[in-house]
Amino acid sequence: MNKNTSGAVTQQKSIISKLGGQKFIVLLVVIVLFAFFSIVSSDFRKYSTVLSILDYSYYIVLMSIGVTFPLITGGVDLSIGTGLICYSLAGGYLVVHGGWPVAAGMAVSILFGMLIGTMNGVLIAIMKLPPFLATLCGSMITRGLGSILAKGYGISWPNAAAEGGWFRGIFKMKAGGTNIPIGFLWIIILVILMSIVLNHTKIGRYIISIGSNKEAASLSGINVTFYHIMAYVISGFFAGLASIAYSAIFSTVQPGTGAGFELEAIGGAIIGGVSATGGAGSIGGSLIGVFVICLLKTGLPYIGLQANWQQIITGLVLITAVLVDNFKKRKPK
Amino acid sequence: MKRKVLGLVLSIAMVSAMMAGCTSKTPATEAPATEPKATEAAKDETTPAADTQADDTQASGGDYKFSIIVKSYQSSYWQAAVKGVEEKAAELGVTVSCTGPNAESDIADQVNMLNSAINEAPDGIGLAACDQDACLDALQTAMDKGIPVVCFDSGIPDAPAGSVYSTIATDNYGAGATAAENLYAGLKDKIANAAEPVRVGEVNQDSTSESITSRGLGFIDKFSELASADGKTVAVIGNEYYVNNCKAAGDEASADIIIEVAVPAQTTVELCATEASVILNKADTIGVFGSNQVSAEGILTANENLSVLGSDPETSVLAAGFDAGSVIKGAIAEGTMFGAVTQSPLAMGMKTVEVLVDIANGNSVQDVPTEGYWYNADTMEDASIAPNLYD
Repeated sequence: MNKNTSGAVTQQKSIISKLGGQKFIVLLVVIVLFAFFSIVSSDFRKYSTVLSILDYSYYIVLMSIGVTFPLITGGVDLSIGTGLICYSLAGGYLVVHGGWPVAAGMAVSILFGMLIGTMNGVLIAIMKLPPFLATLCGSMITRGLGSILAKGYGISWPNAAAEGGWFRGIFKMKAGGTNIPIGFLWIIILVILMSIVLNHTKIGRYIISIGSNKEAASLSGINVTFYHIMAYVISGFFAGLASIAYSAIFSTVQPGTGAGFELEAIGGAIIGGVSATGGAGSIGGSLIGVFVICLLKTGLPYIGLQANWQQIITGLVLITAVLVDNFKKRKPK
Repeated sequence: MKRKVLGLVLSIAMVSAMMAGCTSKTPATEAPATEPKATEAAKDETTPAADTQADDTQASGGDYKFSIIVKSYQSSYWQAAVKGVEEKAAELGVTVSCTGPNAESDIADQVNMLNSAINEAPDGIGLAACDQDACLDALQTAMDKGIPVVCFDSGIPDAPAGSVYSTIATDNYGAGATAAENLYAGLKDKIANAAEPVRVGEVNQDSTSESITSRGLGFIDKFSELASADGKTVAVIGNEYYVNNCKAAGDEASADIIIEVAVPAQTTVELCATEASVILNKADTIGVFGSNQVSAEGILTANENLSVLGSDPETSVLAAGFDAGSVIKGAIAEGTMFGAVTQSPLAMGMKTVEVLVDIANGNSVQDVPTEGYWYNADTMEDASIAPNLYD
């Protein structure tokens, strides 16, 4: 996971060092933010707060791992936020009202995510729709579809004590009265796994090459259409996984929500060094970037900042990240 | 390349077939499960009542026929409303026919139902409109034909003047006050004996919608009033809207009780949970109120990692919620949540029939605010409460 992505066939060395630089800086930002909030608020430096930050980060991290792939192709996936809610509602409806086993409901959530991912991919890679537009439509469709599938009602997946509640333990283990954020372990494993996929497998390398130079990739005999679609299928798959994390951590999934989740995942990936224009990025960077957003989201209320200020500060941090990205790119020239 | 595309197409087909299977299956299994139950339950309630009170029927004046149109039949909230309608109809000896679309989003279906109801020329129509604007033409027709309409649950602000005789909806300000009264009762001793200032939190999903702000302000004003009556001073801090619009914001430095109002940046459960965590983490917090289902569940989510909520004010923080749903009901039953306010679809249904009969009898009517009911672990099974606790 430490190995960085170098998009272009040329200028590999410089990008590697620069990206490592950004990831390192962002990690420092995470540490500084954590230290700052801990010093200012005595309530923040508690185990329970760390638990909450992790609990509320899983679904964003999972979306962010997935959306890193379309971002690297130079595209974007805006459908993952409302999609997450839609997949969770669909799976949850079958579990709660249809009597399906929880595992089957989870499978439906993931497959549904892959289906919407495939739809996005086909619209973008074959029908040549701009990714922004195609996935924006995907976002609208999943938002409406989720409400229809759940008949307009909030869905509560089985709680921890109920039958089928075991799945909540995937992310939070209770041992002797203490909650252990076991989900973070799975996140780390997935990040390592997907870093390997991105950097050391054919599919990952091809997806990077689509982002850095699509013409060249096509001319060198890569099936650009297929791998382009696959980037969105991966994004959809992780949106499906994120929907399970969301269902497991939160009690009720409300139809009509989810818009805006994708921006936190995309923002995190970009803070973490995924190039806003494609061709470069790393999964580890996206993970660290998401934690900047999650720390701000949790920490700012603790230091007594009102909601509107929280949004302003998060926005300013994002601007800074994109500026750093631009600055970094301009420098070598 | 061809192979891969084919593979992709096949897998899309497979997945979509699965999804289609799921979606087409659900209504089929769902419909027979709920519908007979609803009608049976209604029958159970109405037939004996109708028998015993058959004599009153003639006394209370006439065989009026009313059409009642609910937003949908799917949720227990609306089943409770229909139950209220049918109970009252049996009691007063009038005939009601209840209809409603499959889902609250089926606006066009509901407009059709309203139009056919108008064509049947009943003595009055009770309407819980799915959409504020979609029914305007039909309301005009009803008025032209002289059929009085009563709105319940949701009002229609732009209805043609004179078409809607009365609107029966929850008094949100009063419902917030009900939560304050009951939470205050639970905390009274703790507040009376407190040597240091204490803190009561309020998590509101937003500071813009009418229902949420009314509940939030109702809670703040009532809690302040009760505390002042006991000789305590109160300060309201936090979200500006609530601080500026409550009756008295007080002075934080000298107050015995601090009401801290939190509003998340967005109306998501995890942001509500973060705001709730901030309040629950403070050592002087003794109580907290979540003014709708999302914020009440946010408080419960925050408590998953904090475990400070309970039913004993001496050792834990008391939490009051709003609305029902399986999560809040479960938390109240197990003592994590102190209690909650639920709206009263049952009473709303009853009131609707009463008002329709009044109109038919030529009496003048007014808008009727219905109450929110407080419920806790002890009362949630009561016959007057349980039907109002929808999932």
